[in-house]
Amino acid sequence: MKKKWPVLIVLLVAIVSLFLPALGLHVHAQLGEETAALFPQTLSLWEIITKGTGALPTDSVPALSLVHFGGWMTLAGLVLMALSAVLTLPEKKGFPQLAFAASLLSIGCLGGGVAQLMNLQTSLLYTVLFTVKAWAYIPLVAAFVMALITGLALRHAKALIADDKVLRRLSALVALVALLVMLLPAYVIQVPSTLTDNPKDAEAISRSVNLYQLLPGTEPNLYNEGQAKGVYTGILTGDILALEPYSADGTNISGIFLIRSSNAAMQTGLLAGMSFLALSLVLALIPRVDRWFAVVAGGLSVILIIASCFGLLFVGDADMYAASSRQLLHLGLGTVTPIPFLAGILALFSVVLGTLGIARANEPYFVNPIPQGLRIRFVAAALILLSLACILLPAGTVSYSKPGKSKVQATAEIRGLDALTFSTDAKLADPVDSKGKAVYDEDDAEYSRAAVNAATAGTSRTLELLTWGALLLTLVALVLLVTKKSPKAIILLLLLALALRLVTWLTISRGFPKAVIVGSGSLYLYASLPLLVFSAFFTNFAHLEELPKKYKLFLMMLPFLVAVFLFSYLPLYGWSYAFYNYKFGIPMDQQEFVGFRWFTEMFTNAANRDNIVRVLKNTFGMSGLNLLTSWMPMIFAVFLNEITRTRFKKFVQIFTTLPNFISWALVFSFAMCMFAADTGIFSKFMMSIGLNDPNNPTVWLNSNAHIWLKMWGWSTWKGLGWGAIMYLAAIAGIDQELYEAARVDGANRWALMRHITLPSLLPTFFVLLMLSISNILNNGMEQYLVFQNPMNRQTIEVLDLYVYNITIASKGTSLYSYATAIGILKTLVSVTLLFSANFVSKKLRGESIM
Amino acid sequence: MAKKDKQQGHLEQNGGSRLFNIVNYTVFVLITLACIFPFYYLFINTISDNELVRLGRIQLFPQGIHFENYVQVMKIPGILDALFVSVARTVLGTLWTVGGCAFLGYLCTKQEMWLRKVWYRLIIVTMYFSAGLIPWYMNLRMLGFLDNFWVYVIPGLVSPYNVILVKTFIEALPGSLEESATLDGAGYGRVFISIIMPLITPILATLCIFSAVGQWNSFTDTMMLMPSGKYYTLQFLLYKYQNEASSLAALVRNTQDSSSLANVATKQTALSVRMTVAMVVTLPILCVYPFFQRYFVKGIMIGAVKG
Repeated sequence: MKKKWPVLIVLLVAIVSLFLPALGLHVHAQLGEETAALFPQTLSLWEIITKGTGALPTDSVPALSLVHFGGWMTLAGLVLMALSAVLTLPEKKGFPQLAFAASLLSIGCLGGGVAQLMNLQTSLLYTVLFTVKAWAYIPLVAAFVMALITGLALRHAKALIADDKVLRRLSALVALVALLVMLLPAYVIQVPSTLTDNPKDAEAISRSVNLYQLLPGTEPNLYNEGQAKGVYTGILTGDILALEPYSADGTNISGIFLIRSSNAAMQTGLLAGMSFLALSLVLALIPRVDRWFAVVAGGLSVILIIASCFGLLFVGDADMYAASSRQLLHLGLGTVTPIPFLAGILALFSVVLGTLGIARANEPYFVNPIPQGLRIRFVAAALILLSLACILLPAGTVSYSKPGKSKVQATAEIRGLDALTFSTDAKLADPVDSKGKAVYDEDDAEYSRAAVNAATAGTSRTLELLTWGALLLTLVALVLLVTKKSPKAIILLLLLALALRLVTWLTISRGFPKAVIVGSGSLYLYASLPLLVFSAFFTNFAHLEELPKKYKLFLMMLPFLVAVFLFSYLPLYGWSYAFYNYKFGIPMDQQEFVGFRWFTEMFTNAANRDNIVRVLKNTFGMSGLNLLTSWMPMIFAVFLNEITRTRFKKFVQIFTTLPNFISWALVFSFAMCMFAADTGIFSKFMMSIGLNDPNNPTVWLNSNAHIWLKMWGWSTWKGLGWGAIMYLAAIAGIDQELYEAARVDGANRWALMRHITLPSLLPTFFVLLMLSISNILNNGMEQYLVFQNPMNRQTIEVLDLYVYNITIASKGTSLYSYATAIGILKTLVSVTLLFSANFVSKKLRGESIM
Repeated sequence: MAKKDKQQGHLEQNGGSRLFNIVNYTVFVLITLACIFPFYYLFINTISDNELVRLGRIQLFPQGIHFENYVQVMKIPGILDALFVSVARTVLGTLWTVGGCAFLGYLCTKQEMWLRKVWYRLIIVTMYFSAGLIPWYMNLRMLGFLDNFWVYVIPGLVSPYNVILVKTFIEALPGSLEESATLDGAGYGRVFISIIMPLITPILATLCIFSAVGQWNSFTDTMMLMPSGKYYTLQFLLYKYQNEASSLAALVRNTQDSSSLANVATKQTALSVRMTVAMVVTLPILCVYPFFQRYFVKGIMIGAVKG
C-alpha cells in the first residue's frame, strides 16, 4: 500500500460528521409550545460528547435527567481511529498490525455509542422523541472503512515476528485484562432524585454492579433493598403514580423493582468461565505444560462467559434479568453496559493468541500427558468417579397430591447423601405445600398423615439400603481398578451396581402409593446408568494400549445415535396416547385405557367421520391436482432446452427457481398484496378488462371459490422451475449421438423432442411420480396454514392442518389422543404406499426408488 | 452442448421453427416475469407514497419514493430481537446440522465400526416414518424444548438425507489419502478435519445453503413450540402480522412519531408494515440467491443421482 492519503480522508469525514446533526428531537405536543422552544431541533455528536445530557434543557424539564447519553464511547472510538491513522502513515515501516487492531477497537466503541443513541429511540419517555439521523452513523461507517483499509494494508506488511513464547505471554496478558475488565460496572441503575420528593430514596437504589459483585448471588432485588432501607415505599408498594409521567405502561415500572439482577444459571456460568480463564492464564505462563491445555481452558471460558453474557445482553425475554434490563432501558432508569461482552471478546482474543502460539511452535499437536498404557484405565476411573458423584446427588423427586385433586400439592427430593446418613428429608415424610402447611392431616380417612408417613418411611429404608449398596460396590470397583486387578471382577461389581441403580429407579417410580404420591427419577439417576455401563466397558479394555478401533468408532457414533433416538424414535412412545383417553398432567400409568376407541371413533362418530372424509377429500383433491400436473416441470425443461441462447436460458432458470426458496408466509404476503380485493394489481387488471366490478370487487383470498385450483396455482408457481432442474440435468446427460443419428434420418426439431428427449426423461418422471404418490397424504401444512381463513377452512383443511387445528391451535388438549390416532393411521398408510410404490417400481423397472 | 446448439440453429431456419421459437421465447419470458413480478410489486409498494398505496394507485411504477417504511419497521418493538433470533438460528442451526451430518457421514463409511450396518439403517429408516404432530410435540415438551431457543438448533443434528449424501460423496473419494494419514498416526477426528473436510467442501456448501434457507424460512416451529412468545423469528412475525390486522394497527400507532410530524405520505399503515416486513424477510434471500444459485442446482443434481 503506497498511498496513505485515503486514511486521512476517512478520518476527516468522521471528524466533520461530528458537527452535523446526529440526533433529532421532537417535543411532544403535550409539553406546549413554550417548552418546545427550549429544545434544540437537533444535537450533533460534538455536543453530545462535550455536554452530555447537559445539552438538553434539564433545568426546565427535569424529566430529561432520565435520559442517558454520554459521549465517551464515541470519543474513545474516534481517538482509536485517529491512532489507527497515525500508525498507518509512516512512509516506510508503519505499524499495520497495531493500526488494524486499533481500527477494530474503534468499530467496537463507535458501535457502542450508536447503540446507546438507538436505545433512546426505544425509550418509553414520551416527553421527547428521539430520532437518530444518518450523520450519527457516519463515524461508525468511517471506522469500518478504516478497518478495511488497514486490513488491506496488512497484506503488504511484514509478518509479525513473534515466537510461541511471546504469543503465549501475550495471550496470558490479554486473559488478565479480560479478568480485570470485569471489575467495571456491568449494569448501572440511576434513579434521578427528581423522581421522588426524597433524594435519599433515589440514592439508596441507584448503584452500579460489576460482574464479580453478581457472583455471590447476594444482589438483592430492588424491592427487597428498598424495603430494607425503608425508602421508596410509595413506588415499591405498587403506587407507581410518581413514575407515571415517564411511562405509558405502568406494569413495566412495577416490574423493575422486582428485578433480581443475577440468576443461578448466570452465576454458575460466569464463575466457571472466570475460573477457566484464570486457569488458562496460569497454564499459559508455565512453560512445561502442554500448550493445548491453556487454549482449551480459554476456549471453555469464552463459551461460558459469552453464554452468561447473553443473559445480560440479549435484550429480549431471555430471562428475568434480560427482561428487566430492557425495562431499565425503556424507562431510562439505567443501562446495561457492554462490559461483560467486552470481557468475552478479550477472552476470545486470548484464545486466538494462544492458538497462534501453537501454530508457531515446533511440536504443535496435543501431547497427552497420561502414559499410553494407562489411558483407558484413567478414563474408566474417571467414569466410575462420575457415577459415584451421581449416586450421591438427588436420585429422584416425589410429588404429592390429594385424591380427587389433580394439582400437585407439594414436592420433595430424594437425595443420595441423605440416604447415606439414614436421615430422610423431613419434607419427604411430612410434605408441606408452598405456604408451609402440612398437606395431609391426621383425620383424613384414606390418606392420613400416618399412612403417608408409613408409606414413605418404608420406601426410604429401601432406598437407603440400595444407595449404600451401589456406593460400596462402585467404591470397591474403583479401588480394584486402581490396584490393577483383573477386569472381570470389576466389571461384575459395576454391573451389580448398575442393577442396584435400576432397582432404585423402580423403587422410586413404583414404591409409593400411586393414588397420592408419584415418584420420578432425576437426571442424576438416569445419568448414572450409562456411566456405569461405560465404566464397565472401558474396564474391559483397561489392560490395552488403545481401545479397539471398532469400539472407538462406535463411541464416536454414539452421540448421533442418542440424538436419533431422542428426536426420531422416542416420539414413537407417544403413539401410546392413542390408546388412552389422554389427559394433560397425569402420569401415563394413571390414564384411562380405552383400547381402539379413538380409531373406531373416527368412523363411527358421525361428526368425526364427516370431518375425516372432508379433510381426506381436500388432501386427495389438492395432492391429486398436483399429481395430475406433475408432468409440467418435464415439459418446461424440454421446451427450455429448445432455447439456444445460453444466457437467456440461465436467466430463466435462475428466476424461475427463485420462488422455491421463499417461505409460504412470504408467498402469502405476495398473494395478499397482489390479490387484495380493491387495491391489488390483479383486481385492478380484472377491472380494467371489465371482468371485475369496481363497486363490488371480487374477494379473491377470503373466499371459498376454486380454492383447490388457487392452491394448485400457488404451488405450481413456487415449484415449477425448481422441479424442472432435475429434468434439465437428465437432458444434459442424454447421448448426443442419438440426436445426430436422428437428424441424419431427417427428423425435425419436433420429432427430436418427441422421440428422443421426452422418452429419455420418462424414467426420471416415473421415479418422481412414484415418490409423490407415496407422499399423497403428506402434502405438508404450511401452504394451507397461511392461506386458511374462516371462509375457506372447509375446503382447504388437509389432514396435517386438521390435526394441528384441533390440537395445538385450539389450545385444548382433549383431542390429543384422537389426533395421535389419526397420525398413526397416516404414517401406516404412507409407509404402505411407499413400499407399494417401491414394489411397483421394482416390478416395472427393476430399480428401487428408496 | 454449444456445438449442438449451433447446428440446430443452422439447420432449421424454416418458418415453422421460427414461429416455434417466437412462441417459446414469449412463453418463457412470461413465466419468468410471473416469477419476478411479485418481488418487484412488493418492493415498489414499500417505497412508494403510503397514501397512494392504500388507494391502490401503485401498480407498475413507484411514486413518491421514500424509505420511511423501513426506518419505522425497524422501530417496532421486538423486531430487532426477531432478526437476531432468525440470524442466530440460521447460523448456529446450519453449522450444527452440516457439521454433524458431515462427521456422521464420514463415520458411516468406516467398515470397521462395530455393527455399522445396523446403526446406519437405524438412522436412515427414520426418513420414512414420522410419529406425527402430537407425539413430536409432546416429546419436545418432555425434553424441555418448549420456549427454548435451542429447539431451533439441537434436534436438527441428524438429517438422514444429508448423511446419505455425504456418505456417498466420501465413498467416491480415493481412499489412499486417508490411509497414508492413518499410517502417520492421525486419529479419526484429525483425518476428518484435515483430510476429508477439504475434499468434501462442494457438498458441504450445498448442504449449508439448503439448511440455511430452511432455517431462515421456517416459521411453523416457532408457532407451535414457543407458546409464551419467546424467541420469535422474523418469518413468524411476518406470519403473525398477516393474521392480526387490528393489533398491528395499534402497534403501528405506538411506533408512530408524534402526530404533528407524521405526514400522510410516509405514515405507516397496517398494509405498509406488512409489506415492509415481508420485504425485509425476503432481502437476505434475494441478496444471497444469485451468488449461490449454482449450489442449489448442484444440490438437486446430487439428489437426482441418488434417486
